[in-house]
Amino acid sequence: MKMNNFKMQSKNLHLHYGENHVLKGINLGVRPNEITALIGPSGCGKSTFLKTLNRMNDLIDNVKIEGEVYFDDINIYDSKVDVYLLRKRVGMVFQKPNPFPMSIYDNICYGPKLHGVVKSKFDEIVEKSLKGAALWEETKDRLKKSALSLSGGQQQRLCIARALAINPEVLLMDEPTSALDPISTIKIEDLMSDLRKKYTVVIVTHNMQQAARISDRTAFFLMGDMVEFDETEKIFSMPKDKKTEDYITGRFG
Amino acid sequence: MNKKFRLFDFFLKSLIWISGIFIFTVLISIIFFVFYKGLPSISWNFLITAPSELDGTIGILPMIINTVYIIVITLVISTPIGIFSAIYLNEYAGKNKLVKIIEFTTETLAGIPSIIYGLFGFAFFVVGLKLGYSILSGALTLTIMILPTIIRTVQEALKTVPNMYREGALGLGATKLHIIRTILVPSSIPGILTAIILSIGRIVGESAALIFTAGLGYSLPSGFFEHVKSTGATLTVQLYQYAIRGESLEIPFAIASILVIIVLIVNIATKVIAKSFNKER
Repeated sequence: MKMNNFKMQSKNLHLHYGENHVLKGINLGVRPNEITALIGPSGCGKSTFLKTLNRMNDLIDNVKIEGEVYFDDINIYDSKVDVYLLRKRVGMVFQKPNPFPMSIYDNICYGPKLHGVVKSKFDEIVEKSLKGAALWEETKDRLKKSALSLSGGQQQRLCIARALAINPEVLLMDEPTSALDPISTIKIEDLMSDLRKKYTVVIVTHNMQQAARISDRTAFFLMGDMVEFDETEKIFSMPKDKKTEDYITGRFG
Repeated sequence: MNKKFRLFDFFLKSLIWISGIFIFTVLISIIFFVFYKGLPSISWNFLITAPSELDGTIGILPMIINTVYIIVITLVISTPIGIFSAIYLNEYAGKNKLVKIIEFTTETLAGIPSIIYGLFGFAFFVVGLKLGYSILSGALTLTIMILPTIIRTVQEALKTVPNMYREGALGLGATKLHIIRTILVPSSIPGILTAIILSIGRIVGESAALIFTAGLGYSLPSGFFEHVKSTGATLTVQLYQYAIRGESLEIPFAIASILVIIVLIVNIATKVIAKSFNKER
């Protein structure tokens, strides 16, 4: 049974880091094949929320999570859930490009190799993933070169390609363009509208214009609460909450 | 920049240069001095015979063989243990009190005079485990002696692997063990090689810890594996023996030249290997 057509959904999600109450009962549904943007000032919990969606917060000491997060109709915090399989299906792109210190080709194959894909499929996967991340034309003649020789923007697209190589259903992006120059940022934004066709995307961004440009829905976070969540157009043209309005008009944050 | 500051800058720069030149000169002088005194006494015969009153030879072949045996056995035992311990301390142990104690102990062990390791090795391996004066006792003693160095060096190498690699791999669904195997260890290979060179340097230079454990034997091996259980002096131990007799310094210097050459070769070889590893990535 699918619940309300949400691809992922958090229900009354609380998260504590030691004494800090970082997420205070978040209820948020991510619809399939949409881009959902999470905005809010630093420390509002948006990145932490993103990381609860593929359980990357599990690694931190002293973290306590209550509530539920559903992926299709599975509660991912259920003790029976295989967290490694979950991360295969819910991929992630990080704030700083983090290609591994190996060749471009090997970076892409890292995931497939890990999940037992046969070697004969690698060439095809590499081409498909790099094309999917709009990096194929630039790298097809230098696949065996070190990934660290790429520019920052190319490295980030490589990380997207690396995430796509294991066919995730959801792609989480944690401020993927904040470390990049404007031209690389535009390339990645262009790419995202393509990604939406195949994947469900959740993106955390500091840049409100970016959220307005690329996302279908936007959630505004403030001090661990989700203040408002609606279609992006509505959030940016007629926010219901005063705090949202203050934030998007630049009065604070 | 004002004048006073510029003068100070000049003074500091000169100091750095003078120190650099001083170290360089000292090093080159020592090497040249050793070669000058030692190389003339090295002959083909010196390299391929054993010391024998009967044949009237004073060769060092057994010591070369003993040295190689001890290096290989010590490294074969200590490198894996050292790498695994470093991985455990860095990746699994977390930050509790026990780990602090282990790290403190390792650091202390690294600073203990080698004669104490020799004494311990004598009591434990030679007498306690009844291994006798043997290459094996010597190698086991040196294993304990160099383990702290290996652990510390590999640990430093692991610490320099950026955390974002670990995150990236976890995000793809990798387990900790898989990340260690595919990313951490490959990225730490230069550090592991450094640990190995440092260890070889210490093994080649060691005498105090070996005299009581590997003994002073100078005969050629009777068999490939039997030799492990027989006593054998390394080049350094033999050098020490000749030197304290005080008859002549020709042979000690000849051995010293060989040691310097071995250390140079090891260093260069490791650099070349490290470079080729870095190129691959």
